[in-house]
Amino acid sequence: MHEFLSLYLPLAEVDIKSLGHFNPLAIFFFVVFVTISLGITYWSAKLTKSTSHFYTAGGNISGLQNSLALAGDFMSAASFLGIAGLVALNGFDGLIYSIGFLVGWPILMFLIAEPLRNLGKYTFADVVAYRLRQKPVRIAAAIGSLAVISFYLIAQMVGAGELIELLFGFEYELAVVIVGGVMMAYVIFGGMIATTWVQIIKAILLLSATVLLAILVLAQFHFSPTALFAAAADKYPGVLAPGKQVSDPFDAISLGMSLMFGTAGLPHILMRFYTVPDSKAARNSVAYATGLIGAFYLLTFILGFGAMVLVGQDAIKQIGSGGNMAAPMLAQFLGGDAFLGFIAAVSFATILAVVAGLTLSGAAALSHDLWVNVVRSGHADETEQFKVARFATAFLGALAILLGILFKGQNVAYMVGLAFAIAASANFPALLLSMLWKRLTTNAAVASMLVGTFSSLLLIYFSPTIQVTILKHASAPFPLKNPGLISIPLAFLVAIVISWLTHESSSQQRFVEMENRIHFGS
Amino acid sequence: MFIYFGFILLIAFNKPLLGSLVLPGLSLGILLGALVIVAAWILVFIYTRWLNKNYDDALEKLTRNHQ
Repeated sequence: MHEFLSLYLPLAEVDIKSLGHFNPLAIFFFVVFVTISLGITYWSAKLTKSTSHFYTAGGNISGLQNSLALAGDFMSAASFLGIAGLVALNGFDGLIYSIGFLVGWPILMFLIAEPLRNLGKYTFADVVAYRLRQKPVRIAAAIGSLAVISFYLIAQMVGAGELIELLFGFEYELAVVIVGGVMMAYVIFGGMIATTWVQIIKAILLLSATVLLAILVLAQFHFSPTALFAAAADKYPGVLAPGKQVSDPFDAISLGMSLMFGTAGLPHILMRFYTVPDSKAARNSVAYATGLIGAFYLLTFILGFGAMVLVGQDAIKQIGSGGNMAAPMLAQFLGGDAFLGFIAAVSFATILAVVAGLTLSGAAALSHDLWVNVVRSGHADETEQFKVARFATAFLGALAILLGILFKGQNVAYMVGLAFAIAASANFPALLLSMLWKRLTTNAAVASMLVGTFSSLLLIYFSPTIQVTILKHASAPFPLKNPGLISIPLAFLVAIVISWLTHESSSQQRFVEMENRIHFGS
Repeated sequence: MFIYFGFILLIAFNKPLLGSLVLPGLSLGILLGALVIVAAWILVFIYTRWLNKNYDDALEKLTRNHQ
């Protein structure tokens, strides 16, 4: 989550000619990673015998393993490269993002994790639909999920293509096809088992790379973070205080809300809670994941300020105005071409793993929610479900490659903005109310999810990011860069008002049964 | 959550305060930011520990009495 920050980091504007020299070590590290991960896929394919294995690894992932996979899903390349870049160029403002991404986790823990584990099977729509009418709820939930996933996928693919072009010297289209192809192999053959293990390996690699970089940075400052900050403030006055990125107070609040509630509405994160055996493991995995992610974001801060002081803002801006190359440049400065190659390969592995997780959750929405429960009314045999799930994966993979190529050179920022805002407005309110509020009715939940999805889409379309930056209009009808301040309360309001206007006795009768199941499990 | 929101409101409405230095090289904003992360850790840790120690046992007793 994490790439929200690309709202201000136009990956597309990175000047690709200046760093894109062929780095054989980067290719070597990358080939090693892909070989190992395909080996894991081959092994997982033998274990993947049912749809339950395919979607949730049969519920056999331990709490600790799941926490690493959760951290892996959350720490994408853009959060590693993007936050470091944002901090390097803007100082304090980058901290708002780091912290916002983390604060979503306690919310996920207190409100969502355990009930979700006990009520659902494969998707978060299982939970919303638990005591409501299945078909309308699942259709609305699938629309919201697929909207989040599509925009997220586009951003990842465009980002991947450009990063790889930059770091490895491949053609953009070739890079997009490689990412799409390898990712499809993981998901189609290895399902959730392979996706989880790839995610775990990547999380360990990314965390080690971050720790190593941070240690090397701090070694230059006698292991004193305050000495580092002081050096930064000497070189660039004002970087320790809030700056121009958050000049409008309402924009800051709106951004904070989306970051905070977005995490609890991301389909690929929510799906991970079904991979553990019980609610206790779900709870422990969030606790460990919060620790890992918090440490990661604290360290990216060191990396950002390190790059600011050691590499310098002008040098970073020369490579790309968004600052995405701050961390790789820092690695080259501290450890030469070999370390740069390692960081480049870790970044690529990170994108691969996140794209795989996204595609799998999209496949679950398409096949489990739409095909099995809506088209087939819940009556589809195992073989058919399996076939549809794999077909959906292939479809999404091809779609991701196509979108990646179509959106080449686009500013990826607004699509990631959409993903987070939609997740917070479309999925989170309905999911929360379905578990906590007895009076919620089917019509209200459906209306809330649709209003959340489309209001955030519309508001982003009318925001300055699209109207001024992309369409070059003089002003925007909607003043905020982020729609969260309006669209999240709106989705809650719609759910509450419509629930008051309508009455659904079956939903209220099943509420007690649902509460029992939330506490005692199935 | 309220801690983070307080932090965001400070960023929104009182920027100079966050820029003031607590120690040489350490502004109040950065210190508070790091503390928000630490607070999230502590909250999650206490919650998990309480559930693991007390809640699960109580739940199990209830389940047994029920049967």
